Amino acid sequence: MSSAPGLSAPGLSAPGLSVEELSWGHPLPGSGWRQLFSGFSLSCPPGQFLVVIGSNGSGKSTLLNLVAGTLRHSAGRIHLGGRPLHKLRDHHRARWIGRVMQNPLEGTCPGLTVAENLRLAERRNRPDRFAAGFLNSAFGGIHPNGGDCRRYCELLGDRLDEPVGQLSGGQRQSLSLVMATLGSPDLLLLDEHTAALDPRAEATVMALTDRLVRQLGTTALMVTHSLEQALSHGDRLVMLHEGGLIGDWNAAEREHLDPASLRAMYGVAIVAPQSSSATDGSSAS
Amino acid sequence: MFSLWIGAYDQGLAYAGLALGTYLTLRVLNFPDLTVDGSFALGGGTAAVLISQGAPVPVALGLAILFGCLAGMVTGLIHTRLGVNDLFAGILTTTGLYSITLRLMGRSNIPLSETPAGILALPDLGLGLDGQWAVGLTLATVGMILLISFLMATDFGLSLRALGNNPTMARANGINQRRGLTVGIAAANGLVALAGALVATYQGFADVTMGIGSLILGLGMVIIGESVLRPRSLPWALVAVAVGAILFRTMIAIALQLGLEPVDLKLATALLLLIALAFGRLRIPGLSADQGRQEQ
Repeated sequence: MSSAPGLSAPGLSAPGLSVEELSWGHPLPGSGWRQLFSGFSLSCPPGQFLVVIGSNGSGKSTLLNLVAGTLRHSAGRIHLGGRPLHKLRDHHRARWIGRVMQNPLEGTCPGLTVAENLRLAERRNRPDRFAAGFLNSAFGGIHPNGGDCRRYCELLGDRLDEPVGQLSGGQRQSLSLVMATLGSPDLLLLDEHTAALDPRAEATVMALTDRLVRQLGTTALMVTHSLEQALSHGDRLVMLHEGGLIGDWNAAEREHLDPASLRAMYGVAIVAPQSSSATDGSSAS
Repeated sequence: MFSLWIGAYDQGLAYAGLALGTYLTLRVLNFPDLTVDGSFALGGGTAAVLISQGAPVPVALGLAILFGCLAGMVTGLIHTRLGVNDLFAGILTTTGLYSITLRLMGRSNIPLSETPAGILALPDLGLGLDGQWAVGLTLATVGMILLISFLMATDFGLSLRALGNNPTMARANGINQRRGLTVGIAAANGLVALAGALVATYQGFADVTMGIGSLILGLGMVIIGESVLRPRSLPWALVAVAVGAILFRTMIAIALQLGLEPVDLKLATALLLLIALAFGRLRIPGLSADQGRQEQ
């Protein structure tokens, strides 16, 4: 990777993520309450690419939303490299967190051009663009040969002035991924970001995901329903079930996992939860 | 006959701020802001009170803008801080503004007998006072379009456009939605109040009811302008909106020329807007914010 401004050199890892004693629940239709997380803990060491799997309703996306601040926890602490994220609102957390949503339409502004979307993301880590934003003119913004945009230009550099709404789903998700990694965020959250793509686009986006995460050394959490992805990407694999951890495998342990038994775990937890907390991914269920 | 056209041109440009403010809230911020009904009258009332008491016109216009911004800010805060629905937030502010404007004016109607000296100092293009107004209002409208175009090209403007286009994505990219909406609505209402002040100054009086139906009026101007010019960029869209304001007032002038009774003007306006809306629905491809909503 070139030494473009704003990029972390490979090997210099971003801060790690620490989720401690997290609690969150939501009201059920009609009446009642569902407590999804209760004292949930998870630690992701600096630079680790953590893959999260689990059945529907297990809390995978909710976990990402709680970390990003889209949902507010009722108790617990979330730290990113010592920063107390749990005390900040979502747009403040965005200074250090890049997100790729499940729906390609959600992660970009379809009415803005590709360059404008990139410009928004490039300046994500600036503290206040309403006060200082008057000084930053569009005319000095994204440039095809400038800085982090080189990564994007390898994909769609000749379409910078087209509205994002004209891109295909795969192109949009690639753009969304590049946007999420602009400015080298400390944490990358990938929420089933290939779920809406065809196999070819999925392969392209996953290859880009691997490359960007490795190049930046970013700590990453990727939620997926694809067991194929779970077994072939990332440094560590965890499985959630009803708001608790029921499986935790490092890369070496994952090599020996039987896809059939992993698939069976999706519907019913066949491995008894040892604890709702894990620390470094070294324990296999 | 020519005076009819130049009069319509002048009136259209006086209303251009209303159309631009409506464009900002509806198209850029994706926020249906009913505050404009109140802020238009507030701007007109403020200017009329100050000018009638001898204040310089620029000061009167400046204070009208400031009060309009404050009105918009109140709506923004009610919506973003108290979680009140966007339409209700605007209705609440507008309802309150009626009393505030009436208090400010002291009575329901203030006449302005003298043309501002600044207008009289302008070249008349051989058209007399109407020509001088045309020059002054054209300069004001061009200034507004240039200023908004510049602001929309900054990080500030891009953030506002992102908020209207995809708030989830905007927040995920560090944009403060509460602050952005509040600032955007305030700026739009500042423009609307300026329009109210210009209209009051141009027509020679301000009335506390002059803002009724302003949102619909502004929307009609936006739709007519977009339908005619089919803009593909934001600066061009702003020009289209101003042109829409002129065309709208021209249509009203034609209707009056054809013998329409002034008492039927509101009905004719409503029908004209209905046609414009239907026309726009069929033909307008949609600007950025609309495309985003439809696709999502």
